[in-house]
Amino acid sequence: MFSLYRRAWSEKNVIARRQYWGLIFVLPCVIFFAVFFLYPLVTGFYLSLTKYTLLRPPVFIGFDNYVNLFNDRLFLKAINVTLGFVVGSTAPTVVLSLFVALLFYQKFPGREGLKLIFFSPLLPSVAVVSVIWVVLLHPSGILTNIVRPLTGKAEITWVHDLTLSPVVIVLARIWSAMPFYMLIWLAGLTAIPQELRDAARVDGANRIQSFWSVELPLLRPTAVFVMAVSTISAFQGFALQFVISPNQGGPVDVNTTLGILIWKYGFQFFRMGDAAAVSVFLFACIMIVTGTQIAWGRSDRYSIN
Amino acid sequence: MAKSTTPFESDAAFEARLRRRIQKLILFSTAALIAILFGFPMYFMAVSAFKAEAEILSTPFNWLPQEFVGLQHFEGAFERAPIGQWYVNSVFIAAVQVAVGIFFGAMAGYGFAKFQFSGKRILFALILSIMAVPFQILLIPLYVEIRHFGWHNTYAGLIVPGMLSAFAIFLMRQFALSIPDELLDSARIDGASEFRIFISIALPLLAPASASLAIILFLASWNNFLWPLVVAQDRNLWTLPVGMTVFSQPYRGEPSIGPSMAVSTLATLPVALLFLFFQRYFIEGMMVSGIKG
Repeated sequence: MFSLYRRAWSEKNVIARRQYWGLIFVLPCVIFFAVFFLYPLVTGFYLSLTKYTLLRPPVFIGFDNYVNLFNDRLFLKAINVTLGFVVGSTAPTVVLSLFVALLFYQKFPGREGLKLIFFSPLLPSVAVVSVIWVVLLHPSGILTNIVRPLTGKAEITWVHDLTLSPVVIVLARIWSAMPFYMLIWLAGLTAIPQELRDAARVDGANRIQSFWSVELPLLRPTAVFVMAVSTISAFQGFALQFVISPNQGGPVDVNTTLGILIWKYGFQFFRMGDAAAVSVFLFACIMIVTGTQIAWGRSDRYSIN
Repeated sequence: MAKSTTPFESDAAFEARLRRRIQKLILFSTAALIAILFGFPMYFMAVSAFKAEAEILSTPFNWLPQEFVGLQHFEGAFERAPIGQWYVNSVFIAAVQVAVGIFFGAMAGYGFAKFQFSGKRILFALILSIMAVPFQILLIPLYVEIRHFGWHNTYAGLIVPGMLSAFAIFLMRQFALSIPDELLDSARIDGASEFRIFISIALPLLAPASASLAIILFLASWNNFLWPLVVAQDRNLWTLPVGMTVFSQPYRGEPSIGPSMAVSTLATLPVALLFLFFQRYFIEGMMVSGIKG
């Protein structure tokens, strides 16, 4: 009797001890993220409070970097440039990718093949996208010739023009980002049960009415996701501006986003403290977007389940 | 009226069929127009790699090279820059990051899914929150840290910080949840050690499920631009995306457009092949990860 009890107790002990294997399995990752995520995240905040040029140890200066930033013409300009890029690229990307998803949701011959061609911008890296667009935007290249009937100009310096260059970078961005968001919209559309559409039809709704009052409300979680992800990634705009525009963010810094500014302060001017402060500011901006997404996405008024 | 025996349909049916036909035609033409608009830059890239330099920007656009120049632009590109070295670097870095990412991702995912230990919930929540922090925030402090390690301008500096991904752990945990406990328990009864069970039972079960994860990790590594740009100063340590900057102002002197398009094509080729052969996993992977764009 007593020995039976003891055996049960020790078995329980074995099972309890076995659970520590879980900790052993997750430990390599936990240590990795402590070293390569948590530590830099914390030192990032600390560095933003220091003057640091890589040559001498960082000197604590409190909030001076932040105060200086808000008197810094380049930083204020970078905020404008970033917001312009975010608004200019996100709104068209979200709306147009929904339109394309709706189109490819219909049945017609040749649909799958055309969809594959439409997806082709998913393949190149941002660096390659930039180089392709640099060539498409050659002063006497394809884009110039396409708009020639309208402008009558044989040469347009797209990327060197102060007003045109942010616009063409937005264009490149829309081109390269749309297929991804179209995929997400398409998945959202496919998840809507056909019965709901049929029910709307039976009730006498036409296609457009059915879209506005049945599908669009059900697409709300998808819409929140698409808007948030595209806004967050546009806030981090870097590679397109870095490669396409002359002098990394030029001309005259009209394409210097916050991302480019971090790079410039950090790796051109070696002002690590300022660069870290810009990073913290960018982080705050992105966290606001993420927070909004969570707040909006949480309401399940329209969810299917 | 007597039931018609003719093979002709009624006017109403014919009209309906015609309307459907026209509808499909409109849908097809709109879709075709959009597809051409989006596919054109990629086609332009590939075809320009084989055109004579003067022909690339000619008006009207030649859909096929009038003068096929073979691999001349590829050779030109290889002469101007160590592209072979960059290619090897990109492949090597991606291979290590995918392999290590899958192995340790599976290990941690399995640990989180199949064991109860104190602090598990909070650790997992912390790892999930990593995904919400964009890399640019870490750029400066991570670079400073890597310099302290003496890893600046080395393969270790290029590879190690991107070796594990929180997303891989998250996805592997989802997969590991579906491994039946009975299977693990029977191995325990047979006397297998926990590590042995992970290696010979859990890992083989998780590996096939991770095809789309492997593609995500590969793309993240292959397309990474910002980190190698700041870590690798030595030209021979560059990866393909960083090397692209050399070819980014092709019409302002050397190198010219043909070689630029040749390098672009080379850099895109592996991804295009992945897409063609593993289309389902590719698209699945992109959707679950929310990367790109």
